[in-house]
Amino acid sequence: MSSIKSYKPGRKWFKTIVCKVVMVILGRAFQVFSRHDHEIKNEIAAWPEGFTLELNVLPFGPRLLILKEDGKIRTVGEIDEKPELSVNFKNIESAFLILTPLMGVPRGFAEHRFIVIGDVAKAMAFTRCLNRILAYLYPDFLCRNLMRRIPEINFMKRMSKRLYFYTIGIVTGS
Amino acid sequence: MLPSYYEFYNPVKIISGSKALDNIPYELELLNAKRPLVVTDKGVENAGLMKVFLDSFKNSGIEIGGIYSDVPPDSSNSVVKAIAKIYREKECDSIIAVGGGSPIDTAKGVNILVTENSNDLMEFEGADRLKKPLKPFIVVPTTAGTGSEATLVAVIYNEEKNVKMEFISGYLLPNLAVIDPRMTETMPPKITAATGMDALTHAVEAFTCLQKNPISDAYAFSAIKIISHNILNAVKNGKDQKARLNMANAATMAGIAFSNSMVGAVHALGHSAGAVAKVPHGVAMSVFLPHGLEYNLEKIKDSLGELLLALSGPEIFAATPKEKRALKFIEDLRRLQKQLFDEASLPMTLKDAGVTEDMLGTIATKAINDGALMMNPEEMSHEDAMKVLKKAF
Repeated sequence: MSSIKSYKPGRKWFKTIVCKVVMVILGRAFQVFSRHDHEIKNEIAAWPEGFTLELNVLPFGPRLLILKEDGKIRTVGEIDEKPELSVNFKNIESAFLILTPLMGVPRGFAEHRFIVIGDVAKAMAFTRCLNRILAYLYPDFLCRNLMRRIPEINFMKRMSKRLYFYTIGIVTGS
Repeated sequence: MLPSYYEFYNPVKIISGSKALDNIPYELELLNAKRPLVVTDKGVENAGLMKVFLDSFKNSGIEIGGIYSDVPPDSSNSVVKAIAKIYREKECDSIIAVGGGSPIDTAKGVNILVTENSNDLMEFEGADRLKKPLKPFIVVPTTAGTGSEATLVAVIYNEEKNVKMEFISGYLLPNLAVIDPRMTETMPPKITAATGMDALTHAVEAFTCLQKNPISDAYAFSAIKIISHNILNAVKNGKDQKARLNMANAATMAGIAFSNSMVGAVHALGHSAGAVAKVPHGVAMSVFLPHGLEYNLEKIKDSLGELLLALSGPEIFAATPKEKRALKFIEDLRRLQKQLFDEASLPMTLKDAGVTEDMLGTIATKAINDGALMMNPEEMSHEDAMKVLKKAF
């Protein structure tokens, strides 16, 4: 009998859970700041009603689904159809790098860490929204590594919105 | 310096030089193909290039299954479907695209449909949607600019949905690119200048944008060197086969470079000017290149400074202090632009290219939504895009 054994790879549970948690926070942040930030509101105003977007880690997830409904953004569990815009991380390590956030979206895209399926113009608008969301969530020293230029947002506004999100918005989602 | 991670892929066999076309039948046999379908356009046919191409099959035993020569300037869904039908009816087993970007992209679309035995290109739109190798595919470029013979992308217009569909897959790369100087020698001076500047822009942006990597850098650097030595000769004397061959090679090399290291703001602005004001792509690249480089200057000083050696030669490079090389590159680029204007009337401003001031806002809006901006080293807002556009106007 052959001594060669087959190998069934296990899962990277810790990184999967961390990615899931960050996705939940990001989804909540998008939902909250799409109601409180004028620029983000303007960006999503151009998206059609019912527009869906997903962040997904190949092949097993986790996955974040976002829907535009009544002019607002909200996270949803499942939808029947294929999302109109998909950002698929090629593996859990790539997702972990970008979501934790050790690497910015432009660098991640340059390094082929994810692929985008869908309308590129909407992907560009989503990236601009993401830059503003990250600017609210993280301090400058982190943002400098994540984006080419930190969005110009009034300091007091940025601090107060950050405080609001981490105390109320993250719980209520509004 | 190496990036922390990069990818590079180019499986295209390149045959280049005198009578290269005559090797196609032999190469078809190596690909186990005997009955190719030829995809081309009226421009190629009217320039008499099809005769040169078809003559290369005499005495070869290869029978061409069909020739489709009505590809429109923008590849479209319905044309792709019509050609796929001909491919099946004529029982072809391979595809040869002869022409510039449009016949090449159309042929890539046809290859998807006939390989996947489908009639709906939409199923395969996006990145990495193709899961198996396509039919044998050969490209004979007739312009020295687009580099489509070495890129894994096809853009095809969908008339029913009024959108441009983008297909990205390593399987779209041809098996063979055939560079024969006879195929570019009839290009008029203005188109030679515009397509040459297109190739130069591919190489410069590949070398200076975020996805740069050491292998694409090598292709980009050599392409710039060859273009700077040959573009004026090719424009002034179209029959100069050496200059033509050099330019065609440089365009392919630049295509390989930017297929692996994506372009940036110059292309984003150029795509948008093309969509809004119908500015030909090469003309837009020529107009925007110095402005785009100036805009990115703070982020690309070092890499652009290195390119001065390729553009202006060792004497000028050595005589220019390191901190001034990037600016000197832009200065010498403007000199080249002026020479091309004098020799071939290649527009230097958007105004000369037919853009009116009221179009600038729409161009800026389109540009900031163009995917090429993702790889630009500097962020670009609508306001930034307007500033660059006003300078270029």
